[in-house]
Amino acid sequence: MATESITRAVPGTGPDRLPPQSGEVIDRGARVAFTFDGRAFTGYAGDTIASALAADGVRVLSRSFKYHRPRGLLCCAGQCPNCLVQIGDEPNVRACTRRVEAGMAVRSQNAQPSLDRDFLSLTQLAAPLMPVGFYYKTFIRPTALWPSFEHVLRRAAGLGKVDLASRPDACDKAYLHADVVVVGGGPSGIGAAVAAAEEGARVALFDVEPSLGGRLRFSPSQSGCVEKLLASVANRSDIAVYTDTAVVGWYQDNWLAAVTGSRLFKIRAKSVVVATGAIETPLLFDHNDLPGVMLGSASQRLIHLYGVKPGEKALVVTANDDGWDVAADLAEADIDIAAVVDERHSCTSPAADELISRGVPALFRHTILEAVGSKRVRAARVARIDPLGEADRSAARNLACDLIVVSVGWTPDLALFHMAGGESVYDAQRSEPQATAAPKGMFLAGRAAGAHTAACAMDEGRIAGRRAASSSGFGNGPGGSEVSDLLARKAGEPVRTSARTVVPGKKKRFLCYCEDVTDVDLQTAIAEGYDSLELLKRYSTISMGPCQGKMCSMNTVHLCARANGKQVQETGKTTSRPPFVPVTLGALAGQNMEPVQVSPAHQWHLDRGANMMVAGLWLRPEDYGDATAEVKAVRERVGLMDVSTLGKIQLTGPGAPELLERLYVNQWRKLGVGRVRYGLMCNDEGVVMDDGVCARIQENEWYMSTTSTGATTVFEWIQWWVQSGWGEGVHVVNLTDSYAAFNLAGPRSRDVLQRLTDRDLSNRKFPYMRVRSTRVAGVLCRVLRIGFTGELSYEVHCPASYGMHVWEALIAAGEEFGIAPFGMEAQRVLRLEKAHIIVGQDTDALSDPFSANMEWAVKMNKRDFLGKPMLTRISERGIGQRLVGFRMARRDVVPEEGLQAVRPDVNGKQEIIGWLTSCRFSPALNETIGLCWLPAHVAAEAGTPFQIRRDGELEGAYVHHGPFYDPEGERLQM
Amino acid sequence: MLILPCPNCGDRNVSEFRFAGEYNPRPPDPDACDDDALAAYLYLRDNKLGVEKAWWYHQAGCGLWFLVERHTKTQQVVKSYVWQADAVGEGTDGD
Repeated sequence: MATESITRAVPGTGPDRLPPQSGEVIDRGARVAFTFDGRAFTGYAGDTIASALAADGVRVLSRSFKYHRPRGLLCCAGQCPNCLVQIGDEPNVRACTRRVEAGMAVRSQNAQPSLDRDFLSLTQLAAPLMPVGFYYKTFIRPTALWPSFEHVLRRAAGLGKVDLASRPDACDKAYLHADVVVVGGGPSGIGAAVAAAEEGARVALFDVEPSLGGRLRFSPSQSGCVEKLLASVANRSDIAVYTDTAVVGWYQDNWLAAVTGSRLFKIRAKSVVVATGAIETPLLFDHNDLPGVMLGSASQRLIHLYGVKPGEKALVVTANDDGWDVAADLAEADIDIAAVVDERHSCTSPAADELISRGVPALFRHTILEAVGSKRVRAARVARIDPLGEADRSAARNLACDLIVVSVGWTPDLALFHMAGGESVYDAQRSEPQATAAPKGMFLAGRAAGAHTAACAMDEGRIAGRRAASSSGFGNGPGGSEVSDLLARKAGEPVRTSARTVVPGKKKRFLCYCEDVTDVDLQTAIAEGYDSLELLKRYSTISMGPCQGKMCSMNTVHLCARANGKQVQETGKTTSRPPFVPVTLGALAGQNMEPVQVSPAHQWHLDRGANMMVAGLWLRPEDYGDATAEVKAVRERVGLMDVSTLGKIQLTGPGAPELLERLYVNQWRKLGVGRVRYGLMCNDEGVVMDDGVCARIQENEWYMSTTSTGATTVFEWIQWWVQSGWGEGVHVVNLTDSYAAFNLAGPRSRDVLQRLTDRDLSNRKFPYMRVRSTRVAGVLCRVLRIGFTGELSYEVHCPASYGMHVWEALIAAGEEFGIAPFGMEAQRVLRLEKAHIIVGQDTDALSDPFSANMEWAVKMNKRDFLGKPMLTRISERGIGQRLVGFRMARRDVVPEEGLQAVRPDVNGKQEIIGWLTSCRFSPALNETIGLCWLPAHVAAEAGTPFQIRRDGELEGAYVHHGPFYDPEGERLQM
Repeated sequence: MLILPCPNCGDRNVSEFRFAGEYNPRPPDPDACDDDALAAYLYLRDNKLGVEKAWWYHQAGCGLWFLVERHTKTQQVVKSYVWQADAVGEGTDGD
């Protein structure tokens, strides 16, 4: 730790920086200053946060989830959770993939008070008290204490901090279409993209890394090859390349989701090539999570991409030739090799020959037992493997080193393949899962398909690319001999992956770095009966952390198989689900693009300072400042309300009456031309769906209005019946957006409208419940004389394009009569005074017309209508609850809608008997009124008392029948 | 995202459509319908694993109500067609 606390006079780019490397991605000419936990650091442009910190000798990047153990770089590829940091208000950023930017304030997560001294690491001492599943076991009872437990646990366990006040930068979505999508830009992916494009397909090539090349980018022996590969893709207009872009999910019919920064791509692919490569698999040994233990590919990335020396003296643990290549790379970077520990008896790798001839100690048939050290590696304890294949602990010895590089095998990345329904089996010979059946339109290539060498992967990619192109309609696909040649070559490749998953010991061996699950935890869980893989996953939380199983899934299957005494291939695998890598909620949400609908008079409402409310997609005036004054204006003078949101449906043709008879519970056939009727609609369950009015404009022309919220549903409902047999002789058009509608209401409304029309509006010429087509302010309108508010009123429907003109003309004409615009709130009061229901507020999905007090509308003697069979049964059986009016004992108390209605039962205990659906203070009656659901026998008699439970108090109320205001409806008939 | 063939518009994303449940024809004479038959019509659905015949509405498109025969596990669309009085459509073959 000493090197970390040295304060440098001039911040440099680190003592562990190597001389320039051939494939490096950093720009040594451009320095970038940033801070980590408040300390100043300088990296180069192109550095990741982790590589810049590693260049400065920083080894501890985070504290672990449960035990707060120090953790350092493990995968260096954005896969493991070890380098999660917070950048400003952005939590859980992977330091090993996020490039440094000038001024970045990076903080470590989950460390209290600091990364160096985390007091919560003492939780390790209590580890025996925190077995797997301890949340479930320990904190279940007493339930009341859970909030306190939760508070402490949430602070102790976890990841970054979400700043609720932060507003993320703009997020957006983009849509892509391609004949062939290739996921993964390594040799196989590039091969596939080029081969598919050569067949004429439009190709989109995705890679999660900043540039194409895959593993070859940090394999110097292949550097010439990378340039050739990149050149084959460059300048091809038929291949669109998306780097830094993770394909995170597969959905039905090759619909893919990909994320780059804050942009989400939605991609429709005709076919998909999965060339996602393989993920290096960690080995379980004592203290295998100590900073300084890293995967072979991680050390190669540090050296070749960023020119950073991962350590001074390395021990390499391997079981394949890759490990010797890694050791050669380390030696090339001037790192001492303490030894290469190879579990095999011997090997024929040229890299091994070279290193051994240079005197590097090669310990064949050996393995590692333990990483020794407290906060970073000081030594590695190694031992011989005995003839039974187990580590011989009696002959163990320590080798001094500060870096342990583990390269014992690979797990093909089949997540996307599995999501799409691809199948695989575990190949015990190769110790890797091997894809078997590919889903339609998906093709697998490269290391994901088990090809190990770059040449083989590239050829396999070309075959997959031609197959994909052919499946999208381009070319004939590869020839049979080409495919069989390749399969033979693949079969001849050496085995790369060891079946050894764990080297048993006496200390902690971490299987899951995300949630601090050890192999012993897993065995405990299995012993407790969670022996199936899917159960085990849920109970131990393994593979459910930020890495989503990338580090642990294969090892888990091995351990589970062993504990159950089964073969790996019998144990199965957990289900792959999107997203494969973490996606921010912002990227999923995208831009805030909520559509709104506004009336043609919208601007007028805004100019008059209306308080707008959201109603479905609509914005509507709730009030213009004083709803009570608006109510008064309508009752005493005249008011004008914008009801353009109403659904408006035109039905034309001789079949219209028959259709209406079936859609509504009311009778229509005999309605005369020029008349309007209230209509109530039920579905076949007898439940009230919608209400409105319908006018017979001419013999074969009907004009229906629906509720504002029901407009779309009702139109689609009618279309459904029309298109499935009830459409004979009728044509149905949705005019909701084509017409504006304004309700002119109040005793002076006739005077106002008469100013704007030549038609005689007298009660004799234009009585209640009639419709007239007439010019209003020069515009041909449909005027319906109806009265939701209970006053003389005219609903003026005009073409939407003239909406503002007609509205302004009505307001201007009304000025001398004291006209006031009124909004939703005033209307709620006005209609409640008349006890008119609002479908959806006073009724719910169980309300039939009988119980909703609307039996007067139902004509049971019609031949058939929607709901009739059910309503027949309800009318025979009788109803349970009934919608009824109520008045309050204390006139100025206004209980909230939704409260319970109660009554003492036989034992004097308060029993819930119903609920309130509407409640307002009525200015006209100077008391509080409302609608509620009560048992039919309670609702039967006006004046029956009941109580409303409000804030623990009981308020008295009385049943009321009929309208509260103008019960005879005289004001409508004026 | 599933692709559905609309008999009018051809292959479109399923997000353009509204699903309206299994094909469940209304009893021709509801007055003659006994309680069991009515309950079956209103409340009972097959929810089968296999090819399901269901109503779809091209909500963000042409406004057509049509029937789709689709395998509920593989999502394969067997057939998509406009309703006809005999309830047996000559439809567009999906693939």
